[in-house]
Amino acid sequence: MQAAEKRFVEKLKTYLLFAGPTTLVFITVIILPFLFGIYLTFTNWDGISKAYTFVSFSNYKTVFQDAAFWTSFLRTVKYVFYTVILVNSLGFALAYALTGNRVWGQNLLRTGFFVPNLIGGIILGLVWRFIFSNVLVYLGRTFNIGFLSYSWLANPHKALWTLVIVSVWQYSGYMMIIFIAGLSNIPRELLEAATIDGATGFQRLRTIVLPLMVPAFIVTVFLTIQRGFMVYDVNLALTDGGPFKTTQLISMHVYEKAFLAQQYGVGQSQAFFLFLLVAAISLTQVYFTKKLEVEV
Amino acid sequence: MRRVKLGLSVLLFTLVLSLFSAAVLAQDVHITVLNSKGEIQAQLEEIAAYYSSITEGVTVEVIAAPVGQSPFERAMALYAAGNAPALLMLDPGDVLLFQDRALALNDEKWVADAIDGSLDLVTAADGRILAFPVTVEGYGFIYNRPVVEKALGGPFDPKTINTRDALRELFEAIEASGKGALVIAPEDWSLGAHFFGLAYATQAPDFAAINEFQESLKRGEVKLAENVPVNGLLDTFDLMKEFNYDRMDPLASTYDRGTQLIAEGEVGLWFQGNWAWPQIKDFDTTGGQFGFLPVPISNNPADLGNTQVPVGVTKYFIMDGEQNSPAQQQAAKDFLNWLVYDPEGQKRLVLDASIMPAFKNITIVPEDPLAASLLEYVREGRTITFVLNLPPDHWAEVGASMQKYLSDFVDRNGFFAEVEAYWRGL
Repeated sequence: MQAAEKRFVEKLKTYLLFAGPTTLVFITVIILPFLFGIYLTFTNWDGISKAYTFVSFSNYKTVFQDAAFWTSFLRTVKYVFYTVILVNSLGFALAYALTGNRVWGQNLLRTGFFVPNLIGGIILGLVWRFIFSNVLVYLGRTFNIGFLSYSWLANPHKALWTLVIVSVWQYSGYMMIIFIAGLSNIPRELLEAATIDGATGFQRLRTIVLPLMVPAFIVTVFLTIQRGFMVYDVNLALTDGGPFKTTQLISMHVYEKAFLAQQYGVGQSQAFFLFLLVAAISLTQVYFTKKLEVEV
Repeated sequence: MRRVKLGLSVLLFTLVLSLFSAAVLAQDVHITVLNSKGEIQAQLEEIAAYYSSITEGVTVEVIAAPVGQSPFERAMALYAAGNAPALLMLDPGDVLLFQDRALALNDEKWVADAIDGSLDLVTAADGRILAFPVTVEGYGFIYNRPVVEKALGGPFDPKTINTRDALRELFEAIEASGKGALVIAPEDWSLGAHFFGLAYATQAPDFAAINEFQESLKRGEVKLAENVPVNGLLDTFDLMKEFNYDRMDPLASTYDRGTQLIAEGEVGLWFQGNWAWPQIKDFDTTGGQFGFLPVPISNNPADLGNTQVPVGVTKYFIMDGEQNSPAQQQAAKDFLNWLVYDPEGQKRLVLDASIMPAFKNITIVPEDPLAASLLEYVREGRTITFVLNLPPDHWAEVGASMQKYLSDFVDRNGFFAEVEAYWRGL
């Protein structure tokens, strides 16, 4: 009994020595604000006044009645769906093309595709805003290309696609790096054995490479889903939710509810609700894709 | 060993000395000012630098709230960080939200010199005056005189534009002369807060009645489709859409583009306010020949709004009473007094920053033609209420609906339904 207690104290000491500072920071900047945020969802605080009253669950009721929240959520789901598919397929294609010394200047190309990820979202949004509203329109009008002659950013049917295009451009390179790491972990002898047995390139890709890449896909799909739901900077700088809020994604809606409409409690409830939804979606995804993993 | 000890004590002595001098230097009072008028950020910084240089021991620093973002958001973040500026420039509707934290300014000398009514919106229920009126602004159609006169083939009297038909004739004349008639800035704040703001302002000449109109909208008792001024305003907007320079792609236009078009004389008119002067000046090709026209909402010159422009105090400074020391608060009070009473302060505020002050004692006239034009309307009593007590997200929500109407995404009934739903949902 005493020995066990001593061992526990020893373990605790080691833990505190190595992870103590991090735990402290994690609790103070993540856990406490998170709990305080949940506490605020039960109040009618406007964000600045010192007095507020408890309103129990009425903020959550407002979330369900807020039609704009749900349209914005569905729009975000649509955006996430297309970005996840496009980012991952493009990222994988790039990685597959840029491994195994098939292409000249492989490292240069890898760096080139990765660079967009190093540019901050706000700057990136502004750069692309200029491209969509000036460069493409200029090209469209000069060469008489119908679908480019009008700014996509001003068109409620096309503006969401500008967000998808920019996100794909931004994240494909990042996912490519993860896929390259995954690809270089595939044992060469497996592929060689398959080649000797007469497997074609496509057969090798489908039956050996893809199954062995499932762990990489778990990570990339998780990252793209989570980033897609949480996107704010590109949304702000590229479209600012416009035209007339047709590209307002969920984070921006929550932000405006809390800080612009001065309904902090409602905004916080929407944020918490969003947290639950995204957590549920991400965990389901990880659970199901883990089942696809294979042992070599 | 002794030498080391000596060396150490000398070192310690210098350290203590330097700490002392640091403590003495720290007596300097440093105050921060949050600016939410992005167009005069550079000018305010210059004023602050000048004021710091002429006052012993006081430094003033200006920080900016991003253009297009509500200053409330920035102020809230600064308060939450425990780092509130001494002076915060806010929109009128937000001032009272800060009543727990703002200092009462009733004892200040400028209270007596502020223009009539300018402190009504910022006086708390308990009588505390919470804010300093920074600037008077107004809006309407800005016209480029050379373009208009060339189109008319003679001198232009702005008073002749007092009906919608007169406006149409002007538009037609300008287009016939080979220039664009007008350009509409499609920003939500411009359409939602300013253009549709006219819908409330033209309901009645007095503030109380406009307030009552807003209340009845909240209660869902108003049918906008049956409201004469609102329909008249939208008829005028239809006319503007018809002649809009960017009618091919109305939402792709921008405020910056509008500044350039009106300043270079590509278009004759632009719906905007006197805040646009610092940018128009940069492209000006006319030598400052600009002025305001009212936005007519009917064909009867006697109707409210056809000969008047909205004018009001659009920005206020509140003074933090919570996170700044008494010395800082005093420094902030001195700074405000310097702006209102010192000839140099007045000159810098009015001439350098192109601000129309809200104080009767300041007699310097702004050099910019837009402010001068507004001042003429004020002197002739041709003003209506600049409706500034709209709900905080009104500009974004109604602005989005106006954008839909501008790009023919909804018809008039659809637009009315959205605006009515917005008010009911408050």
